[in-house]
Amino acid sequence: MQDTAANNAVVVQPKLKKNTDLMRRILKNRALYLMILPGFLFFVIFKYIPMAGIVIAFQDYQPYLGFFNSPWVGWKHFERLFSDPMFFTILRNTLVLFFFNLAFYFPVPIILALMLNEVRREYFKRFVQTLVYIPHFMSWVIIVSISFVMLSMDRGIINELLVMMGFEKVNFLMSNEWFRPMYIMQVIWREAGWGTIIYLAAMAAIDPGLYEAARMDGANRLRQIWHITLPSIRSVIVVLLILKIGDVLELGFEHIYLLLNSMNREVAEIFDTYVYTAGLRQGQFSYSTAVGFFKSIVGLILVMGANWLAKKVGEEGIY
Amino acid sequence: MAKRKASVILAALTALAVMTGCAGGTATNSGSQTPGNSTGSSTQTPAETPKEPFKITIMANLHTPEVPSDKIEKLLEEATNTQLEIQWVPDGTYDEKMNASFATGTLPMATYIKNQSSLIMMKDAIRNNQFWEIGPLLDQYPNLSKLNKDVLKNTSVDGKIYALYQERPLSRQGLIYRKDWADKLGIPAPTNTEELYNMLKAFKEQDPDGNNANDTIGLTDRNDLIYGAFKTVSSWFGTPNGWGEKDGQLLPEFMFPEYIETMDYIKRLHAEGLINQDFPVTSKNDQQNLLITGKAGAYIGSMADVVSLHNKIIEVNPNAVLDVQNKISGPDGEFGVWAIPGFGSVVLFPKSAVKTEDELKQILAFYDKLMSPELANLIYWGLKDEHYSLQDGRVLPIEDISITDREVKPYQALQIGGISTIDGFYDAVHALPAKAKAEELILDNNNYLIHDPTAALDSATYVQDGVRLNELIKDATYKYMLGNIDEKGFQDAINNWLKQGGQKIIDEFNASYQQAK
Amino acid sequence: MVQDKTAGSRIFDIVNYTLLALIGLITFLPFVHIIAGSFTTATELAQKQFVIIPSVWSLDAYRYIFSTNTIFRALGVSVGVTLFGTLFSMLLTALMAYGLSRKDLVGRSGIMFMVVFTMLFNGGLIPTFLVVKEVGLIDSLAALVVPTAINAFNLIIMRNFFQNLPDGIEESAKIDGCSDWGTLFKIVIPLSMPAIATISLFYAVTYWNTYITAILYLNDSTKWPVQVILRQIVILASGLTGDTSGMDDFVRPPEQTVKMAVIVVATLPILCVYPFLQKHFAKGALLGSIKG
Repeated sequence: MQDTAANNAVVVQPKLKKNTDLMRRILKNRALYLMILPGFLFFVIFKYIPMAGIVIAFQDYQPYLGFFNSPWVGWKHFERLFSDPMFFTILRNTLVLFFFNLAFYFPVPIILALMLNEVRREYFKRFVQTLVYIPHFMSWVIIVSISFVMLSMDRGIINELLVMMGFEKVNFLMSNEWFRPMYIMQVIWREAGWGTIIYLAAMAAIDPGLYEAARMDGANRLRQIWHITLPSIRSVIVVLLILKIGDVLELGFEHIYLLLNSMNREVAEIFDTYVYTAGLRQGQFSYSTAVGFFKSIVGLILVMGANWLAKKVGEEGIY
Repeated sequence: MAKRKASVILAALTALAVMTGCAGGTATNSGSQTPGNSTGSSTQTPAETPKEPFKITIMANLHTPEVPSDKIEKLLEEATNTQLEIQWVPDGTYDEKMNASFATGTLPMATYIKNQSSLIMMKDAIRNNQFWEIGPLLDQYPNLSKLNKDVLKNTSVDGKIYALYQERPLSRQGLIYRKDWADKLGIPAPTNTEELYNMLKAFKEQDPDGNNANDTIGLTDRNDLIYGAFKTVSSWFGTPNGWGEKDGQLLPEFMFPEYIETMDYIKRLHAEGLINQDFPVTSKNDQQNLLITGKAGAYIGSMADVVSLHNKIIEVNPNAVLDVQNKISGPDGEFGVWAIPGFGSVVLFPKSAVKTEDELKQILAFYDKLMSPELANLIYWGLKDEHYSLQDGRVLPIEDISITDREVKPYQALQIGGISTIDGFYDAVHALPAKAKAEELILDNNNYLIHDPTAALDSATYVQDGVRLNELIKDATYKYMLGNIDEKGFQDAINNWLKQGGQKIIDEFNASYQQAK
Repeated sequence: MVQDKTAGSRIFDIVNYTLLALIGLITFLPFVHIIAGSFTTATELAQKQFVIIPSVWSLDAYRYIFSTNTIFRALGVSVGVTLFGTLFSMLLTALMAYGLSRKDLVGRSGIMFMVVFTMLFNGGLIPTFLVVKEVGLIDSLAALVVPTAINAFNLIIMRNFFQNLPDGIEESAKIDGCSDWGTLFKIVIPLSMPAIATISLFYAVTYWNTYITAILYLNDSTKWPVQVILRQIVILASGLTGDTSGMDDFVRPPEQTVKMAVIVVATLPILCVYPFLQKHFAKGALLGSIKG
């Protein structure tokens, strides 16, 4: 009997203790909460309040009626999206381009950063670094027009070279086959250099002593990279990978819109360009919002999945 | 230490708050959204000029890289006793800004609409009473009443007029070609499509530039089925403009055999290398480059472009001569050319900004004055002796284009009406004979116009899906011309179009057509 | 740093340097074309499509741009917005990232999820416009900064950097009697300079590229940053507006050379920022401080 009473007392105690523990932890970190406050307010005001606007995906929104008076139509726009004959083509295109992005683009900044990291001469390193991230600053309008100059069948440089070497001219700009390679090469050209910045910053935090130790153990350069550099930036890679996966349905609208034409539409049309034609150009806010909402849901599911997976293998997720 | 950091942050937040507060003040002071405030004294009889300048806010399309100086704006204000506040919006983002302003009720009192397609987007809003109907009021104004009734009808919604328009010639389309090449090869100006074909073939095969290299082609075209060569050529073949009547029913142009004939023609040009191979993706700039650098010898488009093309081409080749031609008949011997509805941009008056009919009338009074020859010439040509001189009653602009670009050109976006509705509106001196001829031919075109019967008609499905469905046909057209699909493939595309909503569009336009009769 | 003297290491270097030089060349070539194009005449550019070294030199394009003070004013606006915006954003982001990097913070995961959520779900143009309007920022330069103060991506990256600092640092700071604020400003930030430099660069570039928000929120065109003008020129010169409104007759589009000159003028300033930050990417910066 006494034991039970004592037991009960013990059982009650931990719970109370947990709550007071919680309070104590929160209070101890009150400075941290204060630090978070301005940012938190920012997100609430400028991100969450406007988010209520997603409601127009379920309405037949007209600007002059506003959010409260536009008629409610439920899932109508989503039905329209899913029953569109182009839907699966668009989905396929988007997914394929995403995989291309992941498989061909994603590793490039990492490799490039590794290469740059191995350079001992500071001036050379800084010089090349500055060069490789110049393309990032050029808008797609410019890049696409330069590509046109190079790839055109009429006076394009590449085609002239091919002819000189005895090959046939290639229709880069107006074919299904070349669209994806062209797209990914342009993405790599523009973004790879810029992408190295984060990785280089992470590599800057590596202890040089580790390299010395490895050298003494007889490891060559490649092995040093594999065993020291890469693991040290692993968490950055994982974070960026998760974020990229969340972006799965988000491909550069402007880039693709400029490349899109009647001949490559089958592989080039993605949600954003499709909605631009069907939605915004005809002033249909609700439809484009509905499509955006669909993309967000898919992205959310994938991010949550990827984050969970990352945590499972021992990495820090993004939340 | 911690306290110092905390106060730094506090200071930053305070700065933010102050900035926000000041910003809020600025926003209300500029008063662009509440026109009622500044016109207290002007609510008497609308026809009288109020003593205080009447404030008008305007949203206009910026077609130049920079916003103009306010020299002309001040003169306008003086002449019309108004205070103008012009919101210039770059052309590329015009529709987004307009829609955002519309959605937040912050449209200015006079809002320009870019073109016909943007106007169609607003039809629903217009129907729902968001803008003032001005039709019945126009006759009260001496100049506004001169606006062409047919063109106004093309801007109307359910038969009611809500907009003032900026005039455009109904068709400027024609052929511009290298006359020196044609002369060298002994080819006269083409008068039908076969002669044109022969000329293009000669341009490619007979070395017109005499450099013993096979580096020339016939026609240079760009990635636009409407303002590029296609639509004009289709008119030459007798294709209706957008929609045509067959057995009493309206059908889209691509269901007519002449459309297929047009595609076959261009396909032939492409297969034989007489047109630039990448024309479906060529930009206007690159298209013109081919002509300017002497790689191509013909250009189908607006004949008025001959001036700028001439100026550029003589820098590369001072001996080049360009000429224009309009009457090119099709196989049936007839000539026709497609017409635009007669307006480029229009201006609407939102009820959210123009609160009373009195205010509306004052705005119309302003536009009426704007349509007077003095002000029309001012905003189009600039100031006499400063931006131009008069030669026999015609305008000769000054040499330094950068001055007119910065001080005058943007204001042209504000113009209402045009040369056919404003008496005394100056025309330019046409120093280049080809330009003078182009202007004549543009007028000549008016005798052969092919109108789009659906310009004033309605179809709900078209408003919702029309653009997307048109893409299907556009894709099929290009693929056919490039040889990717054959006639059956094109028919399949048409059937697809019909199935996905095209049939509904046909029915709706026809119902509207019957009603309008 | 001890130089690696083995043959394998030398070969590695040779291959590495060569490849990097090649890559540098490929990425730089188009930009050379743009610079060259800006220093030549329009005719030359039309004739020789891909100019690397102009045979005709001309300053026409630059003269055109700088003949009024519009571009100077716009550059001034851009510089101001970029400087102030970057500072403001870094402050808010660093504070929030640090707070969220402390592993014992209650509710940490929830708040981060809330942040990540905003990366995926977006109210859209019009609702955001309405909020900005209600807060009173329309037509104020603050509208280019405040509504985009924190970029969730940057926040996540910065938090990740803070998390990866050795735990010992925070502990020793606390033992020395430092508060959370002190730890952050006196210790953590100086040690995280690579991250600070990186994220600052990201923000700076974003602010420098401000263009759509400027057009939407600023009615007064004297407040336009330089990208608005650049965009307008590029779009007009590329003929992308088409004939839809038929204005092309009346207004001669800017020459291609002007387009290239504006690209150079609008891009050069921001390009110069990175080299200054590069010293923070030196290796071992972190460790040295710890050992010290």
